[in-house]
Amino acid sequence: MSETVKRAASTRHRAADSVGPARRDARLLIVGVGGQGVISLARLVGRAALEAGGEGRVGQLHGMSQRGGSVEATVVFGAGRTGFVSRGEADVLLALEPLEAARAAPRLAPGCLAWIERNPIAVPGVPAGPAEAELLAPVRAVTDRICRIDARAGARAAGAERSVNLVMLGALAVCGALPVGEDALRGVVAAARPAALAAFDEGRRLGAAALAARRGGG
Amino acid sequence: MGQNGRVQPRPSPLDPLLNPEGGGIELLLGNEAVLRGAIEAGIGFACGYPGTPSTEVSDGFAALAPHLGIPFEYSVNEKVALEMAFAASLAGARSIVAMKHLGLMAAGDPLSTIPYIGTVAGLVIVSAGDPSCLTSPNEQDQRHLADALHLPMLDPPTPQAALEATRFAFELSEGCGLPVVLRPTTRVCHTAAPVRLGAVSPREVRGFQRAPQRFLPVPANARRMRSEIEERLALARELIAAGDWLTESGEGRTAVFSSGAPSATCADLLRAAGAEKDIVHLSSSVVFPLPAEELVERLTSLERVLVVEELSPYLEDHLRALCQLHRLPLEVLGKRTGHLPTAFEYEPGVIAAGLHAAFGIGSRPAPDELAATPPVRPPVLCAACPHRSSFFAARAALGAEKHFFNDIGCYTLGCGGPLDAGDALLCMGAGFSLAAGVARTTGERTVGFLGDSTFFHSGMPALLNAAKEEVDMVAVVLDNEITAMTGFQESPTTAAASPREPDDAPGDIATIARALGARRVETVDPHDLPGTIAAFRRAEEHSGLSVVIAKRPCPVAEQRAEGRAPAPPLPAFTIDPALCGTCGRSSCGKRCGQGVDPGYERALIRARVLEDGAESAQPPVAPCTQRCPLYLCVQGYAAHIAAGNYADALELIMSELPLPDSVCRVCHTPCEAACVRSELDEPVAVNDLKRFVLDWAAEQDEPPYRPRRAPANGLRAGVVGAGPAGLAAAHELILRGYTVDLYDAAERPGGLLRSGIPAYRLPREALERDVERILALGIQFHPGRTLGADLDLETLLEDHAAVVVALGAPRSLELGLPGEGPETVGALAYLRDASPRRARAVLVVGGGSSAIDSARVARRRGAERVWVACLEEGSELPASAREVAEAEREGVEILTRARAERRVATGVELIGVRPRVSGARKPADFESLARGARALPAPQAHFPGDAARCLREEGAVSLEVDLVVTALGQAVDPDVLPDLLDPAGEAVSAAPESGATAHPRVFAAGDLAAGPRTVTDVIASGLRAAWGLDRSLRGAERADERRPPPLVSTEPPLGRPGIPRRDDGARRRPVELDPQAAIGSFDEVVGRLDEREARAEAERCMVCGLCGNCRSCVDLFGCPAILSGTDGALRIDAALCVGCGVCADFCPNGAIAPIAEPAQASASASAGAGAGAGANAGTDTEVSA
Repeated sequence: MSETVKRAASTRHRAADSVGPARRDARLLIVGVGGQGVISLARLVGRAALEAGGEGRVGQLHGMSQRGGSVEATVVFGAGRTGFVSRGEADVLLALEPLEAARAAPRLAPGCLAWIERNPIAVPGVPAGPAEAELLAPVRAVTDRICRIDARAGARAAGAERSVNLVMLGALAVCGALPVGEDALRGVVAAARPAALAAFDEGRRLGAAALAARRGGG
Repeated sequence: MGQNGRVQPRPSPLDPLLNPEGGGIELLLGNEAVLRGAIEAGIGFACGYPGTPSTEVSDGFAALAPHLGIPFEYSVNEKVALEMAFAASLAGARSIVAMKHLGLMAAGDPLSTIPYIGTVAGLVIVSAGDPSCLTSPNEQDQRHLADALHLPMLDPPTPQAALEATRFAFELSEGCGLPVVLRPTTRVCHTAAPVRLGAVSPREVRGFQRAPQRFLPVPANARRMRSEIEERLALARELIAAGDWLTESGEGRTAVFSSGAPSATCADLLRAAGAEKDIVHLSSSVVFPLPAEELVERLTSLERVLVVEELSPYLEDHLRALCQLHRLPLEVLGKRTGHLPTAFEYEPGVIAAGLHAAFGIGSRPAPDELAATPPVRPPVLCAACPHRSSFFAARAALGAEKHFFNDIGCYTLGCGGPLDAGDALLCMGAGFSLAAGVARTTGERTVGFLGDSTFFHSGMPALLNAAKEEVDMVAVVLDNEITAMTGFQESPTTAAASPREPDDAPGDIATIARALGARRVETVDPHDLPGTIAAFRRAEEHSGLSVVIAKRPCPVAEQRAEGRAPAPPLPAFTIDPALCGTCGRSSCGKRCGQGVDPGYERALIRARVLEDGAESAQPPVAPCTQRCPLYLCVQGYAAHIAAGNYADALELIMSELPLPDSVCRVCHTPCEAACVRSELDEPVAVNDLKRFVLDWAAEQDEPPYRPRRAPANGLRAGVVGAGPAGLAAAHELILRGYTVDLYDAAERPGGLLRSGIPAYRLPREALERDVERILALGIQFHPGRTLGADLDLETLLEDHAAVVVALGAPRSLELGLPGEGPETVGALAYLRDASPRRARAVLVVGGGSSAIDSARVARRRGAERVWVACLEEGSELPASAREVAEAEREGVEILTRARAERRVATGVELIGVRPRVSGARKPADFESLARGARALPAPQAHFPGDAARCLREEGAVSLEVDLVVTALGQAVDPDVLPDLLDPAGEAVSAAPESGATAHPRVFAAGDLAAGPRTVTDVIASGLRAAWGLDRSLRGAERADERRPPPLVSTEPPLGRPGIPRRDDGARRRPVELDPQAAIGSFDEVVGRLDEREARAEAERCMVCGLCGNCRSCVDLFGCPAILSGTDGALRIDAALCVGCGVCADFCPNGAIAPIAEPAQASASASAGAGAGAGANAGTDTEVSA
């Protein structure tokens, strides 16, 4: 663990083997590839927080990134004015693509709960990336709380292939690491994307299974 | 979208913005808060030009204007937009116009005069800033325009502040009569936060009232108006001071003074550091005019202040001016003092460092660690983009040297990278002007690109300008019928944009271009790659202005169109791994370095696409390879030699050629006859290059190349005849996993190579290297076995799964001269004869290698005069030019167009002949020449003397000789395999591509199968017979893992595009033995090139073929749907491929074809460039511990 990470650990420490309770000022970092729905996902989380009576600011950085480039969005809960998630600040990572998870590693707080989609999306013109174990090494260096979800298969199973993002959101919803509950998240999805609610529910199922396996496996 | 494909209307997230009631809290982006603020202010007119990060303001009005009952438009540019909004203000309606920071400059002309005239109803200009150039070519600080042009400007830090600032901006504008600029930056525009809404005011449109003194800024009025501006600014200061636009928190004598987005960050940082009570935080949402009195009042009690603002020290300098003016003893810290940087967005870490440096609060952020980062995932043109093909076609058509000037928007993504379609870039519409300016300055013909939106934005004046001056350029409009980059806003070419009928739409670019004066306008569909390349070629051929419009709608926009059923998907394409990288046959697995130059590869693609046609199966190999019986990649090993990679060159040769030491000496080099270099000077010395590498290999301690041998397949094959064809077949069979028995009548393998080619051409040690290498693979050689004597086919077929027969053509054809005279012997017997026949003067009849060899052997055996008489002349001679030249140097006299007529006691009489068609240079064809020859009148001449001259002048000559060698060709032995002979009895009847005969387990190779051929030809036929045998025993799939050389194509070679050659050096010639010394021995005559010479000779290769290992689809076309695995194998992501098929059009290997089944609708409807489902998702869930 680097010096920087250790310093950050002293300020934002949390036992590495438990999931909750959620911090009221939790910072969520969502990363993915242009076109995956990263930004709309962040808006859904932000709206759920608002509707649940809390507060959350959503930061989104896009522009040219939407042409297949890296995209990120943030949700910062609690009081405050900005939506930044700086180095070592993300309490929860929701990565719709594993290479982007690796890219986000410096932003993660020690012990960050990382939900990572399993299927890499190739970088055009670059030979297929490193093997999976190697790929996520930067994330593992910061946290061992990693849940990998095959949201692509989940979305297909739910009959909504393009809703990989909502499967990931469903998985995130059950983890209890955010100050916004499963019901609030399901409520905004039901309102905004009723046709894709099955994808969200499939994600909840996958997320619960992943957490159970984590607890079981230690 | 549901599974049934029906489009369900989604509730719009913007719907709450229409709520007339205030009090509710909504999660709004900064841009949406501006939108709501305008609605609350009773907006009456809205317009804009899309530009990140401002776009959601315009997009919001586009969605809501019908519900609001107000006009909205995406204007064609920011200047028009501002004029429209100003006019609305004059007409008494509150109006808003949105653009990015750069747009404010595009609107600079009206912007600078509007304050003189003043507004009637409130006019708010949203000009979103972009610190750090996140989506822009610069991060200009528009705040300087505020005091320069007398524009009140607001810079809100949060979405809530943005809403309130917008509402206030209308009141301010109306109150003071100036337009108000709202300048949110990216962080504010694109942060969503809870925003409390206010109530919506009623809308009012008062109508336009004439007021000439007020609305006509002619000079006389303008001077008065200038004075009025000062009054308006004073009013503005009052209104601002009355509001709550300068906020203060905390106590103490040190302060932070901030504005815009950094105000929010400062607040969060001060709170996080626990310093929010001990440090005063002054935050201003106003940039200009600053409420000076209020500010000074607050500054008076302070000792130090850190000014936190992004970009230039605008407020800092104003603060310093105030301090000086009011004699305040305040220490001002900021950019001028080095506490904060003058460029780029202030992320929290930047401000934290400034706070720490100024006040010692918080912690100094650690510098970024240098960690290994994943490969950058840059934005790219979508897989679906039709204009990838436009760029690709333009570069392919116009060459690497052509200067391209590109455009802002999606097409910026064509600059650099694989498409290489932008040499310079400036701003909207500049693609044409830059091209025109360079063309006028240098005289070169340039190319400018614009998209449809930028064409309308500011490209039309540039095109008119170019037409007016008849500039020598190609102006290209890439029309995708949408403004895609900023989020698919309409453009005048968008079908749905116009309220008029589609065929009456205003934005027909071809019509406009012609109307602007362009005389040559061509519209193409970029998915038609040959058509598009051809159009660029035509445009290039002219001088003056040519316009090419590449037109095809953005498929992503089409998919996103609400309520429209997606078009039926085209089948996605797939790459056949068996063909990818194969040059149509096999893969060398190494990029040799030739053809890697992108410009050259593009030129070859152009040649292929335009001249060859996509349907042709002929791969674009170089002419030398095309004519090589072994299909050797000459340009590949030449490149390796030039680069000094001799082992790679050797591998490229030996993986295809089992007898390289022999072939590099005796090949008749049809490659050289086809060599394009000969059009310039002389062909590349192909044999000498090969020989150099083989001699290099022979000098290494370990063999640098060992063939890859397949695992034993349990089958036994027999090969009868150990000449070049049989050796090649045996070698190939053992590599394919067979157990091989090789039979020959002689004691050592080699056949004709040993008995028919003299050692001065093929030294025995070179031959032995080939033979040893082949036998060492484990072939059982059975010497002294003769088919028909102690070996019969039936027994062979009992012992072997199949047999290759390669017995050659051992019988010399008879001359049958009438008359009595000197002894006559066949060339094969003469060459083979170990006990030399002494003869003083020898006539050799024939024009092939055997004839020349016989003549040179005769010289070595002591003959004083040796003539070769042949019907052919010059290049028609079957023997190679090098052999003929060497023979002549050794004193052999060649009599061309000569026919032996009869023997007389002293020798032979020859007569002169001439071809039927005089002057025609046809390939040598002994048969037709002989048929066409007719005798000239025949006065007698006599020997000795100049026989050639006598023949030429007299038409006949009588030569005194004591030996005649006939080298008229060979024939097969009709007694072997009589059942398999062809009807004429000249050869075994065998399929040329596989050696298959009438007997299913007997395959024939070499001269036996095809009649007499060259050594290189028969080696190829041996390889094909081995493949044929393998195919019949193990099936096509296994056999095709190694493919034999194709039959030599009779197609004319591909035209070579005009590429400058690399080197002007003359052909390098190896040292040859002195003729006198040569005829005194059988030592090898031709030496070898030394290393320096060999590399220089290799450099002469002009690289006429496209390397089959090209990866052009990735490296040049760059389609993100084509993915490359770690093993280098390419595949197409079916979910991303939209089936345009352009890559298939230029794939040199013909490896890309549509998938038979159409792709699933949902997969191909995947909208984003990088998104979409892949092919191989599992269904399990992995949890890492």
